[in-house]
Amino acid sequence: MLNQLMNMIFTTSFGYAIIRITSPILFAALAAVVAEKAGVTNIGLEGTMMFSSLFGVLFAYWTNNWLVGVLAAMVVGILIALVMGIFALKLKTNIILAGTAINIAGSGGTIFLLYLFTGLRGNTANLTTPQMLTPKINIPIIKDIPVIGAIFSGHSILTYVSFILVIVVWILLYKTALGLRIRAVGENTNAADSVGVSVLKTQYIALMISGALSGIGGAYMSMYYSQSWNTGIVAGRGFIALAARAMGQGEPVGAMLASLLFGFASALGNKMEGLQGFSSYLVGAIPYAVTIIGLSIYAVTQLKKSRKKS
Amino acid sequence: MENKHMMAFEFIRGFVAIFIAILVAFIFIFISADDPGKALNCLLIKPIISNGALNIKSIMTILGRTTPIIFTGLAVCVMFSADQFNLGAEGVTMLGGFIGALIGIYVPMAAGIHSVVAVLIAAVVGGLVMIVPALAKVKLKASEMVISLMMNYVILYLVLHFLNNVFADRSKGATQTFPFEATAKIGTVVQGTELTYGFFIALIATVIVAIFMYRTRWGYAIRMIGINEAFSKYSGIKVGAIIVASQIIGGVLAGAGGAIEVLGRDISFRWLDLPGYGWTGVTVAILAKNNPIMVPLAALFIAYLNRGCELMSIYAGVPAEMLDIIQAVIFLFFAAEQFLAKYRQKLVVKDAKEEISMKGEKA
Amino acid sequence: MADIEYVVQMKGITKVYPNGIAANQGVDFNVKKGEIHALMGENGAGKSTLMKMLFGLEQPTEGDIIVNGEKVNLTSPTVAISKGIGMVHQHFMLVPSLTVAENIVLGMEPKNKGFIDYKKAVEITEEYSKKYNLIVDPSAKVRDIPVGMKQKVEILKALVRGAKILILDEPTAVLTTQETAELFRELINLKNQGHTVIFISHKLDEIKQITDRLTIMRGGKSMGVYNTADISKEEISRLMVGRDVVLTVEKDKAQPTDVVLKVRNLDYTNGWGKKMLNNLSFDVRKGEILGIAGVEGNGQRELVDMLFNLNVPDSGTATVNGQNILGVAQRKIRDMGVSLIPEDRMTFGIAGRGTIEDNLMSDRCGKKRYNNGPLFNTKNMHEDSDQLIKDYAVLCKSRNQQVGMLSGGNIQKVVVAREFSSNPGLIIADQPTRGIDVGATEFIRKKLVELSREGAAVLLVSADLNEVMELSDSLIVMVNGKIAAYFEDTSVLNDTIMGEYMLGIKQQSEEEIRRVQHGE
Repeated sequence: MLNQLMNMIFTTSFGYAIIRITSPILFAALAAVVAEKAGVTNIGLEGTMMFSSLFGVLFAYWTNNWLVGVLAAMVVGILIALVMGIFALKLKTNIILAGTAINIAGSGGTIFLLYLFTGLRGNTANLTTPQMLTPKINIPIIKDIPVIGAIFSGHSILTYVSFILVIVVWILLYKTALGLRIRAVGENTNAADSVGVSVLKTQYIALMISGALSGIGGAYMSMYYSQSWNTGIVAGRGFIALAARAMGQGEPVGAMLASLLFGFASALGNKMEGLQGFSSYLVGAIPYAVTIIGLSIYAVTQLKKSRKKS
Repeated sequence: MENKHMMAFEFIRGFVAIFIAILVAFIFIFISADDPGKALNCLLIKPIISNGALNIKSIMTILGRTTPIIFTGLAVCVMFSADQFNLGAEGVTMLGGFIGALIGIYVPMAAGIHSVVAVLIAAVVGGLVMIVPALAKVKLKASEMVISLMMNYVILYLVLHFLNNVFADRSKGATQTFPFEATAKIGTVVQGTELTYGFFIALIATVIVAIFMYRTRWGYAIRMIGINEAFSKYSGIKVGAIIVASQIIGGVLAGAGGAIEVLGRDISFRWLDLPGYGWTGVTVAILAKNNPIMVPLAALFIAYLNRGCELMSIYAGVPAEMLDIIQAVIFLFFAAEQFLAKYRQKLVVKDAKEEISMKGEKA
Repeated sequence: MADIEYVVQMKGITKVYPNGIAANQGVDFNVKKGEIHALMGENGAGKSTLMKMLFGLEQPTEGDIIVNGEKVNLTSPTVAISKGIGMVHQHFMLVPSLTVAENIVLGMEPKNKGFIDYKKAVEITEEYSKKYNLIVDPSAKVRDIPVGMKQKVEILKALVRGAKILILDEPTAVLTTQETAELFRELINLKNQGHTVIFISHKLDEIKQITDRLTIMRGGKSMGVYNTADISKEEISRLMVGRDVVLTVEKDKAQPTDVVLKVRNLDYTNGWGKKMLNNLSFDVRKGEILGIAGVEGNGQRELVDMLFNLNVPDSGTATVNGQNILGVAQRKIRDMGVSLIPEDRMTFGIAGRGTIEDNLMSDRCGKKRYNNGPLFNTKNMHEDSDQLIKDYAVLCKSRNQQVGMLSGGNIQKVVVAREFSSNPGLIIADQPTRGIDVGATEFIRKKLVELSREGAAVLLVSADLNEVMELSDSLIVMVNGKIAAYFEDTSVLNDTIMGEYMLGIKQQSEEEIRRVQHGE
């Protein structure tokens, strides 16, 4: 049986699956990274993705254009981030509670809004047309390389965007004035204040970037991964992203590696489902359990580090 | 809460928050309903009055629906009081329901004690599970929030595994366990309603938790840690142990709530997804301002809206899920410390003036 | 017409805070262009308030500020910076994970095609670093550099923003001797390049060494401006340390008996490598009040932290009635009969959103008297709370009022009521009356004497000269984490002697100091 498993892992389709599963989590994890760098814990990613995945599909349907859908998803993500910002930053709602409220609104509110706009109940499977789905891209040259081509070529355009965004977010945080301010605000608000950097403005911007990133993540789910919107579409990915951020030490590249670990665990679970004697449900728990263990190990190393210092 | 101005302020604030939420609901209803008047009637009045008379059955159903969210609301209250953002009540409720169901099916016992034992074991398991995020927080300084969120999904899949692969009743079309023994059932108060004796257990639990939080040294310690951890440590309170305890208690309540809900409302276990009660529990705790005694009231409010939305979806074609939007709006405004802060400032000034004049009288 | 000789003129400055405390009363403060000007005064003399107004962090209630001959309205630090004023705070305003260069350009980042021009940032840093001979490593992360360099980064931050007038708030408090010497060379260099430096300090040697003129403040008022060369250390000490009103506290002569608290050879070096406690040894006996006097920041806070397990020393011992208290859980320390009035009452002294009763019961809620089995005995709790509120004259509506809503004096009365009523064998009182009204102050002092006469050992740490001199039976002066003097009988003391020891002009011999070790 182990043999069987090995045979499955060492296939190109397995590598392809890892990347496909990782991508949406990566969007959300990057969103978590940016917000947390500014000192804002964005637990509302889950709800934000619910809304953006819905409106992505709806706008794509109305215009019959996937690009409009993706942009709409981003805008919706930004708007929700603004709502969170107003409550958390201006009205001083605890940020975790503000995020929780967004998640509550997202879980059922999306179903309501879907009905409101289309009369549909629970899913948009009937709306889907090929023009609404984000296109798959075959990368020239690479697609013809054996093994590599099969793993890395032929993904949705958004998949590539998510991995490119790792670099973009890194550049944003470490090579731009805004990034410098975001990091300064997240670490020492007094220092930022003392040189005239507005803490509030910087946190709003970081939240909006976070909203936009998770918005694309939502679009990925409904306009590629699931091919349509349904009530269980996000399925905790927003929460996993928070864990991936923590495990990735709050850095874009670290968050990507943690997301890949989650993607690997998920893909492995999916493969094992096909095997005799493995419970699909039991393997479903693996990625989450891996995350708990990973977080604990990371916490232990951090603890040891801080003990050494003091 | 001695200060009458501040208390009045909190009430006004709560009403304004609810008013805004209802306003939002109105707007949505006017957009979505064919007959807005009918929809509004369904949302606000029909839950308790139909055809000009009190609808006892509906009222009982509303009361019945408060049961699980009173339990999760209490659980969240206790954990949030200690400033622990443990969001695991969602998963633990499901686990409690499943454990309770298994005891109800496979461990025959005499009537009277069967359901009690089932609920107690579910509670114990719930408490044990919460040790994971609690210890991670206290011993490793890992975020209890993230760990508890992950734990919800681990529990979901484990329960689904055992439900599907070990304990499923294959004779049924839908995935479910075998039915519970009659001895394990928690009885319905009035046949045909959703009101079970679990509701009274929830009320008793409320009183116990309220007494625990305000009349025992452990509850006191939980509250003090939540207000000021440094002060608690300085005062000689065992902060780490109490933080762990608060989350265990949260788990016990959520676990018991899950078992009571399943054994009371159903004949076999058939939850195929996280039940959502944990999240509603957060709303309830926020509405109750973390005060256990207010939890049933907050739960009643949510259950009322729940029933209203349900009727609205049946009779006026507005999807019941509108409830989540209303809930979120109320939640946000309730939790917003600076909401109407200017008005509060005025009250504070007024109070200060009174205090000064009081000083003058005493001098 | 403003006098152009002065770069800064503050005229008739009065500052009354919303809580009614007048921190500055008609203060005049003038600084000449290109001088190093010391602003001196004890804690609470009002120097920080004055400087906060000059840096735009606070606005004066009355009075004018004139910078370079122009009357200015300094509404925020940004405005102050635009007028050429920079401030180096005691607590550094730096972002640890950013590099030195990044910290320096934060908020005014040089850009190249939308990206931060990090090379330019390093260049700017190096340019200023060279110009003013403030040597820093532009690419090092701030969290990895020593505290002396952090201070240079702060100074550079101000200079890069065009500061011509630099305010340094107790800059040497965190520095080692070598770092201090280096700082002084740099300040003189700055002065030679035409900058003006305002230097807040209590250290006479330092003042004498580098300042041109000095202004002394006491009790919110200016005690005059002097040329540093024309005034003796003793004269400064007399002007700076002294009581305008001598407050006398009536008390019987102490009859100390057994040693309760015994501290031996306590050593502690803080995270930045500065030695805060240096081989500290002393005893506190039953029935006496031992005062610890000294300018703040000389190790008093660290000492108290050690005695209540809020920190752990590098070496040394401390026992209460023979039992170790270092590294011991607070519950156990309290069970040994130790109570503490903490300096930071809002962090350690109270739970602000809790009721008065909650706060009175925090150390004793596990006691038998307050429990019937698992439940609280609320009757006893209410009874004792009401009694304490009455005994300690806490002005409130009832025991159910939120403690955070009370005035400072009443909050401290709640803390004191709790700490004094637990029948303590040892009371550690750290700045017990700071910032509270006269009535509450008097009350707390009386109680402290009462308790000591009833047999408690009291360790009183206070920067308030009146308090520490009048309340203490015997007294030690702490300077640089060491005991500079021990006075067995405080009645022979006067302000002048105290000032000279506190400011390090005088120092007792080892033998004289060892007298504070009553035990073996």
